[in-house]
Amino acid sequence: MSDVVHTTFVIERKLPSGPAHAFRFWSEKVLKRRWTDCHPDWTVLEDRFEFTPGGEETLRWRTGEGFEQSFTARYLDIAPGRRIIYAFEMSSAGSRVSVSLATVEFHPAKGGTRMLYTEQMAFLAGEEAMRMRVAGTGDGFERLADALAADVTGLH
Amino acid sequence: MPQPQPLDRLFLALADPARRGMVEQLSRGPASVKELARPANMRLPSALKHLRVLEDGGVVVSRKVGRTRTYAMRPEALAPIRDWMRVHEAALNAAFDRLAQALADMPDESAESEP
Repeated sequence: MSDVVHTTFVIERKLPSGPAHAFRFWSEKVLKRRWTDCHPDWTVLEDRFEFTPGGEETLRWRTGEGFEQSFTARYLDIAPGRRIIYAFEMSSAGSRVSVSLATVEFHPAKGGTRMLYTEQMAFLAGEEAMRMRVAGTGDGFERLADALAADVTGLH
Repeated sequence: MPQPQPLDRLFLALADPARRGMVEQLSRGPASVKELARPANMRLPSALKHLRVLEDGGVVVSRKVGRTRTYAMRPEALAPIRDWMRVHEAALNAAFDRLAQALADMPDESAESEP
């Protein structure tokens, strides 16, 4: 094996309104932050949202423990009401933890929308290991867990 | 959710390029110390040292038959990394729960089925 571990997973969700309305909760910053903000104890250092092909979304926080987490995405393909494809990376304390390609599809369904989220992730196990060695402490895992939590907030 | 200790040891075990080479070789099948030392031009004591780190990290297991020690991947060795990804997926699911709730709280005003 190498120091990168790959994985792909799909999440399917039923949403209670039509694709056009559901799409707005991904495409409009205020609506998106209604469901992506989940760490009231973290300080937001940067929050940029440019929903257009080639545009970037950046979220950077300082956690309760005082280190930085970031989520940086680039929107690659947008079909209003139907599809969003974006690439994103997550970093923790200056080290990249993972890089992913995410595809969100909105299908009309009975009672609303069938949303399909597919993520192809490259998890940088080796680099994270190196960082943890440099840190030389046992708190590496907590930072990893925080990076994951950050990941949710970014949603991503 | 894995405990910090095993994950730490796992990452430490995989942090060295020589050890990752050995793991790559072992993922194709069991091998002796000699066979594992050869590709990296490593001396046997040095190879054994790396293999011991991998064994302590729970990545490989060894078996001695006669005078030959053979190493093999431990099934489930990389489970903590998979656990990490499961946590990631669980976090996404929680976010999507909030998305569904946000949509329920703010229904589409152009839809006619609303009261």
